[in-house]
Amino acid sequence: MATDDVSRPPDRLGHRSSLPPWLGRRGNRVRTAAVAIGLAVYAWMAGSAPPFSTAALVMVLIPGVVLAVIAYGWPPERIPAPDKPDITGVFWWVIAVAALFEWEASAYKDNSLPWHPSLTDLINPMLGPHIVKSAAILLWILVGWALVRR
Amino acid sequence: MSTRTLTIIGFVLVIAAMFLLEFLARRPGSRIPTVGQWLGYLMRPRIGRVLILLGWWWLGWHYFAR
Repeated sequence: MATDDVSRPPDRLGHRSSLPPWLGRRGNRVRTAAVAIGLAVYAWMAGSAPPFSTAALVMVLIPGVVLAVIAYGWPPERIPAPDKPDITGVFWWVIAVAALFEWEASAYKDNSLPWHPSLTDLINPMLGPHIVKSAAILLWILVGWALVRR
Repeated sequence: MSTRTLTIIGFVLVIAAMFLLEFLARRPGSRIPTVGQWLGYLMRPRIGRVLILLGWWWLGWHYFAR
């Protein structure tokens, strides 16, 4: 079955070991803070890599490889997906996504001329400032983690 | 109004519609699934999971490595 690999919730650290629960929660908070700082530093470094450079490629490859290894080797507790989403509700999303792709495709077909820019042409200048690009990279990594949990 | 402005307005409207859908989906009893729910549904089969994660990685490569 497709959902066979959805893991069961693990026991919390405080319950699994002989440690008191408050110590387990504190350990989790410290770990979360360390991961957050590490990700922020990584995003800041990745944001400083010049476009079309090997460093920029490696900085994008690393999160992809790490998340792929985690998703395959050590999958985290997954959030169960709905068995069958409401078709009418899904249809609204299909319309929105199709509209976005159509609008983007029409710009791409016109070679992204200045009077009909593609989404990439509009977003790239916004990613110019280092802090914005780093924040976007951090968001991208977090979205990747959220997808691995799905 | 220039064609460029119209193009930008088009993108803004579509993206705003997506945020609105997400907001509506999070209301109690909503029939509209959240982004996480419909992506989760697409990611139930292994091939869907691989394709969605590849799409995520491609976005990062497209915007941050190029």
